[in-house]
Amino acid sequence: MQPFLVPLHDTVVPVGTLTRCAQAVNSPLIKALRHPWVESIVRLSAVEDALAALHPLLSLTTVRARVVRIVDETATTKTFVLQPNALWANAQAGQFVRVQFEINGRRVERAYSLSSRPGSRRIAFTVKRQDQGLVSAHLHRTVAVGDVLTISQALGEFVLPGALPSKILLLSAGSGITPVMSMLRELQARDFRGDVVFAHVCRAPDDLIFAAQLQTIAANFAALRVVLHFDAAAGPFSPAVLAQKVPDVAHRSTWMCGPAGFMDAISHHWEMEGLSAPLHSERFAGAPILPSTAPGTPVAVSCMASGSIFTTQGAEPLLVQAERAGLTPKHGCRIGICRSCQCVKTSGTVENLQTGELTSAPNELIRLCISTARTDIVLAI
Amino acid sequence: MSFAKPTTLSREQVAEFEREVNAIRDSVMNKLGQSDVDHMRNMIRISRASEIGGRALLHFGVGPLSWAAGVAALASAKILDNMEIGHNVMHGQYDWTGDPALNSQTFEWDIACDGEQWRHSHNVTHHTYTNILGKDRDLGYSLLRMTDEQKWKPRHWFQPLANLMLAMGFQYGVGSHDLEIGRYKHGAMPKAEFKARLDRFLTKVGKVWFKDYLLFPLLALWSAPRVLAGNFCANLIRNLWTYLIIFCGHFTEGVAIYREEDTRNETKGDWYIRQLSGSSNLTGGRFFHIMSGHLSHQIEHHLFPDMPAHRYPEVAPQIQALCRKYGLFYNTGSLFKQYLTVMKRILTHTLPPKRLPV
Repeated sequence: MQPFLVPLHDTVVPVGTLTRCAQAVNSPLIKALRHPWVESIVRLSAVEDALAALHPLLSLTTVRARVVRIVDETATTKTFVLQPNALWANAQAGQFVRVQFEINGRRVERAYSLSSRPGSRRIAFTVKRQDQGLVSAHLHRTVAVGDVLTISQALGEFVLPGALPSKILLLSAGSGITPVMSMLRELQARDFRGDVVFAHVCRAPDDLIFAAQLQTIAANFAALRVVLHFDAAAGPFSPAVLAQKVPDVAHRSTWMCGPAGFMDAISHHWEMEGLSAPLHSERFAGAPILPSTAPGTPVAVSCMASGSIFTTQGAEPLLVQAERAGLTPKHGCRIGICRSCQCVKTSGTVENLQTGELTSAPNELIRLCISTARTDIVLAI
Repeated sequence: MSFAKPTTLSREQVAEFEREVNAIRDSVMNKLGQSDVDHMRNMIRISRASEIGGRALLHFGVGPLSWAAGVAALASAKILDNMEIGHNVMHGQYDWTGDPALNSQTFEWDIACDGEQWRHSHNVTHHTYTNILGKDRDLGYSLLRMTDEQKWKPRHWFQPLANLMLAMGFQYGVGSHDLEIGRYKHGAMPKAEFKARLDRFLTKVGKVWFKDYLLFPLLALWSAPRVLAGNFCANLIRNLWTYLIIFCGHFTEGVAIYREEDTRNETKGDWYIRQLSGSSNLTGGRFFHIMSGHLSHQIEHHLFPDMPAHRYPEVAPQIQALCRKYGLFYNTGSLFKQYLTVMKRILTHTLPPKRLPV
């Protein structure tokens, strides 16, 4: 997924009256509160905390949403239905939100595709519990009806166009069904008269998320044909299987979401066959963590704010490397004490030279003077 | 205070000391979690409540008793904001939480010292070069002569008076510290840079004056003098208290100072020993430690500046035991006792050094 400043699709998102009112009151208020002289009298964070104490959904700056229902979809998958506050500005089918959690004092963010029908006041996302997943386990075990979550506005370019093509394929595997399910709901709501195939791959019927809803939609939506592939019984799914089950795949505008391996295979097939129909895809797992290189291996460091890229030489700290490359990052003690050189590392793996610890978390704070890059990395500076 | 004697520990012992201090640090840093964030948010809530209560008493109270209570509440709010919250957050003790409200590099506090300038003069200069003569500008704050190694000048005759002025206006002392007026006067700082630093300082002073000495008194209408006096006294109490705690952290008897050349090739173990012998602790209860921003554990703070400060009482006995093991001096005592030794030093160094008989 592309988490940053995704340009909105040309389809106009209808913004509710409530949201418009909220924004009309909000924008001048926030502008005033962010003024340095006002901020020195009353901090915005204090205002926000006071509002949250009055009512947990109240905020001037952030979308907060209350969990109103939790639905068990399969043994390992739950849907969380949320009632967002007035700042929520609606979503298009296929978009995702970044959801913020505080787990044992630490903030973490995850992106989840919305599975709800666009335009509804309530929104929903569906999460499969991962065996090693910190956040999915927290969601499944700890989050309960009545809890309030902080979420972003809807993001992402994986959406249906304003003018729909006549033949559509919605292709998904596993929990990748969530954004395309939302698209299917939109197609039904827009009374799509063309021809849509909804093809989904999962292990077995028990693992099929949204089974009942899919059945209901299929019964009431003439344009829809549902193709299911259960690979435990029917064998592994491949582009050949797809071509067999959807013979006219070459002529279908396709939106797909699923595990990386699945999507790579389909994209490869598309390229090999030189298919002309557009293929849109959504990667819902973050960028894969690259294996770290040996200390001192040259790697690329991209600095977003300054727009410069340099290659490291040797195992010296990033601060030294950046200065050698002609950059002048803010710094102080140069021995890891003062944090003047602290900045956000957007992606990649770094080593803390004082502890030897390797970390790969996205958007973490690192100190340039005591960190080295062990993969290609992106810095916010 | 005199130059540190060369350590009697062997290089192996220093390395072993470093390993043991690191182990103490790791044992705490690896278990940071919800309780630490909860503590800090609790402190922020108490400070805000205390400020609102204090200002309300000053604005709407009647009689001297409510005025005194208002001053006390407002002073406590400012002390908490500056010491337990601001100082500690700006050290990066809560950066691991990822909460933007607790981010060290953007936090700003209610004091006439600009946050960014403080991060430089305190985190960069003082914590890196602690007690190195000529490098650590906190040594006497370029105003007081605290050691025989500092050259005596006639202005030091007025040192007791200067000390009193610094104590009463401590926020301006801390705020103007990063201007490095001395360096500018000696031509070592370009005028443009000095001007930029001065502007930043004066803007911050303007902000706190506007709030405490103009806006809030005006809002109080006919109670303006009462509010103005209350705000002034709250700031004064905060100044005296922060001065007291900070002077007892580095200027007590037995605190060592260092020559720059002696610290050139220091290892992390040497650095730990310098931080340890350059700091002194104050004894007291939990309330006292919180109101001092846990700078009553100055030793632990200088060893672990980015460890959440409310953890210092937990590691202090371990550090003390380590000092016994290695025969290092762990400087601690009551506020009264420690401050007496500070005053003694200030007064002794008021006098010019005695000439040795030729």
